[in-house]
Amino acid sequence: MSNATPSRMPITRKQATKLIRKLPVNRSVGNSVVRRGGSIGRIVKTLLTEPTVPNGVKVLAKESKVGANYDTDWARSYPARAARVLLVEGLVRPVIDILATPTVYGDDRLTDIEGPVVFAANHHSHIDTPLMLSVIPEPWRHHLFIGAAADYFFGNQITSTLSALVIGAIPIERTKVTRNSADQAAVLLDDGWSMLIFPEGGRSPDGWGQQFRGGAAYLSLRCNVPVVPVHLEGTGKVLRKGKNVPRLHPTSVTFGKPIMPNEGEDSRHLAIRIEEAVAALADESATDWWQARRRAAAGETPSLHGPEAGSWRRSWSLDDRKRTRKGKRNWPEV
Amino acid sequence: MKALRFERNIPRFAAATIASRLGGSGAKVGPLRLRSIDAPKLPGSDWVEILPRLSGICGSDLATINAQSTRYFEPIVSFPFVPGHEIVADLREPVGDIPAGRVVVEPVLGCIARGISPACAACERGDLGNCERIAFGSLEPGLQTGFCCSTGGGWSTRMVAHVSQLHAVPESWTDEAAVMVEPTACAVHGALIADVTEGDLVVVLGSGTLGLLTIAALRRFGRPCTILAVAKHPHQRELAVEFGADIVVSPNELTRAVRRASNSLALGDGDIIRLTGGADHVIDCVGSQDSITEALGVVRPKGRITLVGMPGHVSVDLTGLWQREITLSGSYAYGTETLPDGSRRRTFDLAFELVEAADLGRLVTAVYPLSSHEQAIAHASASGVRGAVRIAFDLRDEKERNRA
Amino acid sequence: MPRPGFVLDVDRSTPPILFHHGEGFRLERLPAGRSRVIYPSEPIEALKNPDAAIRDALVNPIGDSEPLTALLKPGMKLTIAFDDISLPLPPMKRPDIRQRVIEAVLDLAAAAGVDDVMLIAALALHRRMTEAELRHAVGDRVYDAFAPDGRLINHDAEDPDNLLYIGSTEQGEEVEINKRAADSDLIIYVNINLVSMDGGWKSTATGLASYRSLRHHHNVRTMQHSKSFMDQHKSELHSANWRMGKVLRDSGIKVFQIETTMNNNVFGTEGPMSVLQKREWEWSLKDRVTMAGMKTALDLMPSRTKRSIFQGWQAPHAMTSVQAGEVEAVHKLTTENVYKQHLVQVEGQTDILTMGLPYISPYNVNSILNPILVACLGLGYFFNLYRGKPPVREGGVVIMSHPTPWEFHPVHHPSYIDFFEQVLSVTTDPLRIEAEFEKSFAEDEWYRHLYRTSYAYHGVHPFYMWYWCSHALQHVGEVIIVGGDVRAVRRLGFKPASTLQDALEMASDVVGRDATITHLHNPPILMADVS
Repeated sequence: MSNATPSRMPITRKQATKLIRKLPVNRSVGNSVVRRGGSIGRIVKTLLTEPTVPNGVKVLAKESKVGANYDTDWARSYPARAARVLLVEGLVRPVIDILATPTVYGDDRLTDIEGPVVFAANHHSHIDTPLMLSVIPEPWRHHLFIGAAADYFFGNQITSTLSALVIGAIPIERTKVTRNSADQAAVLLDDGWSMLIFPEGGRSPDGWGQQFRGGAAYLSLRCNVPVVPVHLEGTGKVLRKGKNVPRLHPTSVTFGKPIMPNEGEDSRHLAIRIEEAVAALADESATDWWQARRRAAAGETPSLHGPEAGSWRRSWSLDDRKRTRKGKRNWPEV
Repeated sequence: MKALRFERNIPRFAAATIASRLGGSGAKVGPLRLRSIDAPKLPGSDWVEILPRLSGICGSDLATINAQSTRYFEPIVSFPFVPGHEIVADLREPVGDIPAGRVVVEPVLGCIARGISPACAACERGDLGNCERIAFGSLEPGLQTGFCCSTGGGWSTRMVAHVSQLHAVPESWTDEAAVMVEPTACAVHGALIADVTEGDLVVVLGSGTLGLLTIAALRRFGRPCTILAVAKHPHQRELAVEFGADIVVSPNELTRAVRRASNSLALGDGDIIRLTGGADHVIDCVGSQDSITEALGVVRPKGRITLVGMPGHVSVDLTGLWQREITLSGSYAYGTETLPDGSRRRTFDLAFELVEAADLGRLVTAVYPLSSHEQAIAHASASGVRGAVRIAFDLRDEKERNRA
Repeated sequence: MPRPGFVLDVDRSTPPILFHHGEGFRLERLPAGRSRVIYPSEPIEALKNPDAAIRDALVNPIGDSEPLTALLKPGMKLTIAFDDISLPLPPMKRPDIRQRVIEAVLDLAAAAGVDDVMLIAALALHRRMTEAELRHAVGDRVYDAFAPDGRLINHDAEDPDNLLYIGSTEQGEEVEINKRAADSDLIIYVNINLVSMDGGWKSTATGLASYRSLRHHHNVRTMQHSKSFMDQHKSELHSANWRMGKVLRDSGIKVFQIETTMNNNVFGTEGPMSVLQKREWEWSLKDRVTMAGMKTALDLMPSRTKRSIFQGWQAPHAMTSVQAGEVEAVHKLTTENVYKQHLVQVEGQTDILTMGLPYISPYNVNSILNPILVACLGLGYFFNLYRGKPPVREGGVVIMSHPTPWEFHPVHHPSYIDFFEQVLSVTTDPLRIEAEFEKSFAEDEWYRHLYRTSYAYHGVHPFYMWYWCSHALQHVGEVIIVGGDVRAVRRLGFKPASTLQDALEMASDVVGRDATITHLHNPPILMADVS
């Protein structure tokens, strides 16, 4: 801006600034004055500042670039995938092996399926995701994305980037099936990517499960892919909700038989089936497969939610569940 | 006269020890040398000069030549001696009941031969091999002819023998058959001293001459029993079967075979660590550390091991002997036997009978003149591998023998 | 579309033919103009959804049988018997067929509220299965659910308290089987029908039987009258088992038979082993390099290493059919399905039969193929893989290729060692062996102890191996083993040859100079349909 208009009152810039600051007017004008002949820093600042909105104008809701709207496509580019393979195999798995020493059961149930699946697991701990990343068998392990709580994992640009890169997450709304997140997941599933989702919508607050929400079921129906129920045991002992420091504790992961959506089934019903399957796996993990099958057949599978009772009784009924597997017998040399 | 003589020569003795330890033979460097010496003088009135025809090479001879026998024998042999105690010889003139002609020598030098009267208790009983006076009397010390400097031995052209030592050889016999009488007597003694009861399982370790003869003796004079023989080489296997072994196995198959034959259980998961039972009798015709260990491994609790082969210094774990109350006994030479029917017979008479019945003369595989003693000893040392059983010296063609 | 098996006439442009040779291979040029090679069919198509096929078979049974859902009732006593470690060969990749079937059956049993369930490995006189082997066969879930409280067991043919005498056939054959199975309201037998010998009444009447019962058909006479035992219509072994099956059925024992067949995708279509499944003239550069590399590497390796590599191989073979219901009806269909994979039309017999024996037989899974098993694999199994008449004429010569080492697995085969050392050294005549030695081995306390408590084959088992050879020993004039341990081969009563050329020269003494030759290109398994 120039100072070329002769008709104006001769006034120094300093005086003008002082004067303007006293006036009960829009600051921006002053700013513009201040900026006159400004430095690069100021220019940048201007560029970064949003324009004000006139009164009487209806403000359109602005689309957030983070949260559920975060675009994670870049995380499935080849460099990002390569980086993820390195991170998972070189860092996540070794750490998990030490921290959680997972024993995997039932992975043989996956032999017959080909193509993308939805892994639906119960959720106790932040360890769950890296644990699943290190135990999901090939070929799914490195062709996987994760439905992560949009509000938690995609809260800002930094967590969003890390979530997308390290765990291959896409944002999912906890509370509802929203168009955007569902679309994104469906496109990926159709594209041959498998999905890991925790249908409880959040970590268990007390060790008992919460009701399964419909996301996994909806996606399974929409993309006609099987849901693999997964039960995780012991992860709460490694790092339960509310704790920041993990401790060593063995865990077990039980994969269930893939569930195919039935003809004309609705997602609520399928969600119930998935929850029942995980509950049966929990039973299998606590007792054995045969008892679990019999209880399931008799409709007596213990609920994942625990007893309807006060908090102490709920935690009282959480017993220590463990199974052992003996090693191979050593022969004299063959 | 020509003789192979065993001399007391410490450096040669040491050389033989070293040579045999290194896997060679002590024959070349050892204290046994081919010499021209004076014929032995008659030590007394009942003694006669005889002219050996054939003289066998026995396992104990080989041990001596290779300087592997213990110093145990030092006070009961007298140097220098001419070895050879399996002898068939010519007797020029009749003496006592023995007509002129071929004789077999019973080599033990007991009280009678030594002119000791009254005889010791053992000789009195007829157990000549157990004589308590073998270093006394009119002869130099020597447990047998062939270990005594007064009598000479079979590995020469002339020697002397006491009348009581002589047994006439039937006309029809070959020299080879006759030379087998002495080792057969050892085997008969071993087989009978083991006192096998009917139906017993008897393991015979070793299928050299002694082992094969023991099998034959067990079959002929012992009570009916199951004989399990251990044979390394094919010809031994065949002979063992022919002489009456029921089962013949290779040495490394022994434990499993005994287990099955004795219906025993075993410790070990398929590989046998130890048998819980085993054979009633083991007759060890080898007499080495390994064979004794093996015998202890396959004999049943309260069973009996009879050592027919000559041992020596051995190192064996006797815990099993103690815990399983095993009897370990020896069998040396011969004398008088009690047969299963209670009758008592001279071992040599039984041996004569067996040699004839089983045609044992064929066990003499090869004969050598004295001058080829190195080859003879080498052949005898490797008899099994080289398909032989008995090797003997042939003195029938020695020139000086045919001089007056 | 898999190509069927066929017979190749060897001419001057035929490349060297692959002979399996234990844990190794030989490439041999067969004489042109008078040799032929029988190639197996390529692996036939597997079931797309095996679990669904199993469920379908269970609810739609064959023959005179109700659906399994109707047979399962609360409060009933149910026994599930399954084939042991000898099937399939080589062991298959997880999940094993048995696991799939047993889980499907148990799912139905759970739904029906059946509480009393027992699982029995129907191993007859075979060795007991180890935990790892059982886990592999039935899966971890079933193992963890049943084994800890003793509801998953190995059959014990020497447990007097756990055997039940059922009766005897018209021909006086005693039938005695596992008591728990006999006492059950229903026996469900889960079978893998690898070759046409398996299955049918042989499953229960042999798999769950005692020595007392088995000796009636596991003997020389039966085997000499089974021509072959792979062809159930001409097999005395099968007639006896079927007679025993009738006794079982008449006594009120109910068997729901589930039989499965599998394709012969033994070495896979990818990876270094796949070359073994290809026809020699189709070997690509990669295949040829792989073969050369494997041969060189195997030559350099100690036998223990080779063994552990080969024994570690799990085949990708897959299920081709499943049928369930009444035993005989089921087995009829099963046999047809087995034949679909195995049968190859062959015209006439030749003077010489050659075969390359691989590293595995039914009795040395995770173990050593000892000389007796070499004989049994060649003269018992391979020789008998025919229908009609043997591919080699009577008085002809069998040439087998195998290193035949004088080696035994002491834990698995203790009585084999004694059989080899103490029986074959006396005679190799099956009839004499049977008469003189069988009883003492069968009743030996130590073998019995090892069979029951350790992992040993029954004391009498090596005899059966030898009886298995008896049809071949009777039929052929001479047996030659190429590349075998000379002493061991002689002990078997066969002739050792260092090369195939030598063996053919030796054979010419028996069958003349211009003898015709058939080579059995097995494995993958084939069965010659000889007209």
